[in-house]
Amino acid sequence: MNRKLGLRRSVGRLWHHFFFHKMTEPSDPAPTAPVSTPASSAPGQAQPATENSPQTLPIRDSKPTQPTGDAPASTDGAADKPLSPAELKKKAKADKAARRIREKLEREGGTTGSTTPTPSVGAQARPPSTPKKDATGTGSAQKGPRAPPPRRGSGPVAQTGSVLVEQKKKKDDKKVSVFGHLYGQQRRVTVAGATKEVHHAILALGMQLMDYTICGSSARCVATLIAFKRLIESYTTPMGTSLARHLTTHLSSQITYLSTCRPLSISQGNAIRALKLFIAGIDPSTPEASAKISLCEYIDSFIREKITVADQVIADSAAQKIQDGDVIVTFAGSSIVKQTLLLAYNRGKRFRVSIIDSRPLFEGKSLARDLAKSGLDVQYSLVHSITHAIKDATKVFLGAHAMTSNGGLYSRVGTALVAMSAKERASGVEIPVIVCCETIKFTDRVALDSIVVNEIADANELLPMDTPVSLVVPNPDAHVPPTPENKKGGNRTPAPEPLVTPHKTSSSPLADWHNTPNLQLLNIMYDVTPAEYVDMVITEMGSLPPSAVPIVHRMVTNL
Amino acid sequence: MPSSSLALTPGLGSFLKCLKTNPIDTSIETLISLLKRRQIRHSRSCATATAYLLRSVISACRTTDSAKLIERVQSVGRRLMAAQPREMVVGNIVRRVLGLIRDEAEDDRDAEFALSDIGSESQPQTPRAYDDPSLPLDRDSPSFRSDDRSSRPPLTSMFSLLSHPEPENSLPSTPGSSSPSGRLAGHGPSKDVRAEVLEGIGEIIDELGQVDDQIAAYALDHIHSNEIILTHTSSTTVQKFLLKAAAKRKFTVIHAESYPNNHEATHATVSGSAVSDDDNLGLEAFQKPLIEHGITVILIPDSAVFALMSRVNKVILGTHSVLANGGLVAAAGTRVIARAAKVHQTPVVVVSGVYKLSPVYPFDFDSLIEYGDPSKVLPYEEGDLVDLVDVQNPIYDYVPAELVDLYITNLGGHAPSYLYRIVSDHYRKEDISF
Repeated sequence: MNRKLGLRRSVGRLWHHFFFHKMTEPSDPAPTAPVSTPASSAPGQAQPATENSPQTLPIRDSKPTQPTGDAPASTDGAADKPLSPAELKKKAKADKAARRIREKLEREGGTTGSTTPTPSVGAQARPPSTPKKDATGTGSAQKGPRAPPPRRGSGPVAQTGSVLVEQKKKKDDKKVSVFGHLYGQQRRVTVAGATKEVHHAILALGMQLMDYTICGSSARCVATLIAFKRLIESYTTPMGTSLARHLTTHLSSQITYLSTCRPLSISQGNAIRALKLFIAGIDPSTPEASAKISLCEYIDSFIREKITVADQVIADSAAQKIQDGDVIVTFAGSSIVKQTLLLAYNRGKRFRVSIIDSRPLFEGKSLARDLAKSGLDVQYSLVHSITHAIKDATKVFLGAHAMTSNGGLYSRVGTALVAMSAKERASGVEIPVIVCCETIKFTDRVALDSIVVNEIADANELLPMDTPVSLVVPNPDAHVPPTPENKKGGNRTPAPEPLVTPHKTSSSPLADWHNTPNLQLLNIMYDVTPAEYVDMVITEMGSLPPSAVPIVHRMVTNL
Repeated sequence: MPSSSLALTPGLGSFLKCLKTNPIDTSIETLISLLKRRQIRHSRSCATATAYLLRSVISACRTTDSAKLIERVQSVGRRLMAAQPREMVVGNIVRRVLGLIRDEAEDDRDAEFALSDIGSESQPQTPRAYDDPSLPLDRDSPSFRSDDRSSRPPLTSMFSLLSHPEPENSLPSTPGSSSPSGRLAGHGPSKDVRAEVLEGIGEIIDELGQVDDQIAAYALDHIHSNEIILTHTSSTTVQKFLLKAAAKRKFTVIHAESYPNNHEATHATVSGSAVSDDDNLGLEAFQKPLIEHGITVILIPDSAVFALMSRVNKVILGTHSVLANGGLVAAAGTRVIARAAKVHQTPVVVVSGVYKLSPVYPFDFDSLIEYGDPSKVLPYEEGDLVDLVDVQNPIYDYVPAELVDLYITNLGGHAPSYLYRIVSDHYRKEDISF
């Protein structure tokens, strides 16, 4: 029910998204252009003003106007002195200057040309070239006054190869080397560049996944399945192929799109695998209409069995573990834990809940809100106070993103700290750590640490933000080099467009971290809690020790 | 004199100014209210303020009777400690000043016997002033000193006379006690206790100014090349320590930001834009941040500590105060980090000046913990939520001794189990609960 609500809300969010990007694209040059055009069309002698104006956008504008901008300047000078030879001389000079400028521009386009000291050569020739120079030079020169560098803006406008190379190098510098293997591809931030086969429901879903509107392993899984259902409903098999064969490849392209928005969760992967298996099993002789109906039915029953009912079963058995007077600690916001706690409360159990939350997603906030509104006694704190929250706890309930085959709990980063604290309290009494997890989240992968398998989110999310809504603001920063999948779509120019950096406080010392050498921000999404910290995994198939995960996983997948 | 501490900041800076102009009672009140309102926060600022205040108190106190001085300092100290019982550094400084006075008084008495031996005594004392931060000497001294301390209360023997100057390396309580003997030669037994005590306090203040550099001098012993070091929150001591090593070696620093309470300072430290209003950082011009030494600094949210711990070679932590049992009180979140390090068998190193070492054996851990502004956890924009839930924002964590592998103080490296010895070297029994 909540999930549906969330979906509806998120569709609205998507519209906001479209709107947002649509608006920012054309509107951004508009305000900046007037700022800089006066500067650049001002008499040629007034370069100092333009020199450090970081506007890079209007280069295209200013270049055509530039010669004319110079010409009026010279004619003005001529108007004062009506001597025609002098006028001619001036004109020749201006022409020469203009030519020099053009040459310079070309030269810069060809080579790296980010050497800052050169401009002293042609003082007259400065105005048009300086903005460009800034565009390329932002990397080395740290611009004090304007915190968010205009680098991104310069990308699409002045698509010089050198800029891209430099940005790429810088980007690499910002990658934490230990996690190098996880940076793979930049997350997509707009729908632009998606192939036309991608269904609109999938497009929408991708955006919602990307900005965490749909967040949480099971929510993502359900949303994906629902989107696939809509895709299948509107699907017609092209001539010459069979549904079973074509639909699978068709799905694959959708899945590729989804995975560029955010790496697929284990649950999504499992659901997709099951769906593909089912599609492959469809008898080619069945008519398309009935095949589609059976597919939709399969998806519905899959959602019902694996998630909706499974959640009810889990909540039911987990709620039985809660007793009056308990102090339950939970980390971040898990839907199944919420369901469990609410169920226990509605059954008349009276207990206290202590929610530990973490940056940057603050998922616990909505959990705290929902629980508190239902009347539960809720305490809210952040990761730094784990020890204090765990001190008088009696049970720890955790949600899961996945359970690995070696019994590890793969969940929101910070979970391991909570589980560890529960097991190693100062008083020496261990608190039971109970994980609620549907079997759809079981995987046959194994993980010893949180580094080999993980997901890297955009580091800009870590910048302190003032706006309370900023959580859902996508991070338009991390998309500079058009990623491989981007180049397929012809219109790559608008892809890295949204140059909306000001969502972070300019006062933050980190605002300029992209240009600060050697400084890296790391925002990983998950960590692996070792099996020894988990006492019990409650699944729809019963309560198990973590060591039973591979067995159950085999049972489930072999069905 | 420590010009460093004159760097102006709202808390400490204004207090020091006020100390110069206002009468002593006003200054005491000012410091008390600063402490109460937490306008003066960092351990070192509190320690410096206390030391300066006590210096003024003593110089304003027109008596040569050590008992009266002790009484006066005790009464001021009690008020200061009552103002902010969790700022244990204040009590530490008061105790050390009391110890100074007592030493003076005893020396007075001893001097009557020892007068003949003064010549031999003043000799080893002169070099002391120069090789004050000399490390090798420093490092063996604690054991020596402890013997010497325990053997001192009985009448002075030749042995104790000779060993006396030894511990004074960076121990400000003894500098007071030795310098008198130097003067004694000129003045005879009727010397001015007050002047000697003032001098001793001056040395305490000096120590507070130098302590970070002294600790940093050990950095190369502990950090090797290509290490990955994890630290937490912004601590000048830790930063200096790392900077010192950064001058010679390349390593990587993972910096957990300590979110709601100190993340801004951490961000500033990390990015090098730390011309911070924070009096901790402002004290000495922070030459260059680590990143400018070519050290890769990775900023992570606190929650990612466990995930990264498997790659970390060493955890280096700053602290708020250190307790006599080897435990420490440090910024909230430290304990989970230390625990995670223990789980991963990663050594935990705590750097701390000796002045943070408190002769307190904690029995009630909760009483050590201070709770801070909950709006940092849940801003008031989320009013609906604030109404409904109970928000907690502890500022400190108690970290038990077993989670710490090594303490590095300005005297060298110590095992946590050894700290009680240093405590007993620095504070006199009669002052532990004054």
